[in-house]
Amino acid sequence: MNFREREVKITYIKEAILCVTFGTVVGIGAYYVFLYFNIAIFGWNLGLIFAPLAAGYAETLLANRIIGQGIGAISAFILFIITTFYSFILKNPTLGFNLITVGSVAVILQAAFPTAVNYIILSVIFGIGSYLSGICTRIITYINRRKDYYYYKHILKEPNKITIEKVTPYDEQKSNEVINNLDFYFITSTDPTKSKFINLGQFHATAIVEKDKRLIHSTQDNVELATLNNLKKAKDKSLIRLAQSIKSAGGNGVINLKIEYGLIGLGGDSYQITAMGMGVYLK
Amino acid sequence: MILTSANTLQSKTILEYKGLVTGESLIGSNIYKDLFSGVRDVVGGRTNQYEMELQKARTIALESMEKKAESLGANAIVGLKISYDNLGGTMGNTILVTAYGTAVRCE
Repeated sequence: MNFREREVKITYIKEAILCVTFGTVVGIGAYYVFLYFNIAIFGWNLGLIFAPLAAGYAETLLANRIIGQGIGAISAFILFIITTFYSFILKNPTLGFNLITVGSVAVILQAAFPTAVNYIILSVIFGIGSYLSGICTRIITYINRRKDYYYYKHILKEPNKITIEKVTPYDEQKSNEVINNLDFYFITSTDPTKSKFINLGQFHATAIVEKDKRLIHSTQDNVELATLNNLKKAKDKSLIRLAQSIKSAGGNGVINLKIEYGLIGLGGDSYQITAMGMGVYLK
Repeated sequence: MILTSANTLQSKTILEYKGLVTGESLIGSNIYKDLFSGVRDVVGGRTNQYEMELQKARTIALESMEKKAESLGANAIVGLKISYDNLGGTMGNTILVTAYGTAVRCE
């Protein structure tokens, strides 16, 4: 850095300090006026908002005239610290943590850091709102479905195989009846009361079900419902296979039955459901 | 409905085995629940939200199982097993809760 550049930089810093000082003085003056006339709502002085605003405005105004550009409303931040320290710590150290305090701090922060706080408020409010209403999910799902529709109809020229409109229902009662009408005893306990049995050994039966890729564009509720239904169907399948396997070995029941669920495959893209137990012939 | 993880019922005689009854429920991924759970993982403490969700899921699974036992004419379930399986999902928080047991008719 040569002498000339150094001179320019020092001048710039001096002018910036002058602008920040001016803004700070204006802010303190504004805060004094608000305190003197007690301009307050519900006991909460409006100077906490307007003093940082006045400071930032005055500083920017002066900076535009002297330097030709704003320098970031540093005095607003200084005023934020001064007013918060004075009103919350020095003047009223017993201030409790309640809704009014939290609201006040939020408003002060908003005045001191408008862009950052507005961004957070908008993001949080929009985020919670969109989550509760599911509006974003619906819009994205709709866009994806339309995209797939045109892609299949106009480019592939075949029916759309991706979009799932409705989850295949699972009839709990019917499935229960099917499982318990196989002429086979499924017993989860280890020792059937008053029954004599012949042990045929340990038996396993497995059913593997892939994650439904058609659900990629579906809603979260649909994904969960379809996954649960698929798991239930696979469980029925593994129980039926276990019964068939024991029956073929001459048994008519299983004791100490266990059903296990697990993820398998690359990236856990399939579910494995295993039914196991001791195959027996119950007399 | 009597529920027991034991093989027998104390002071009651099992008259008939009615069959296998099962109940399942799934706790899905939830961005806020997952986020707060992640925070708890870092700062410590109990994840009450998750405990409540698990309790709710367990209740659904048990109720579904009991309903099926009733439809079979049973008044008790022996050899009850409850399991919790992680099925992946966002931050590995998709959990399957299963309850199953042998429906019986007792005195």
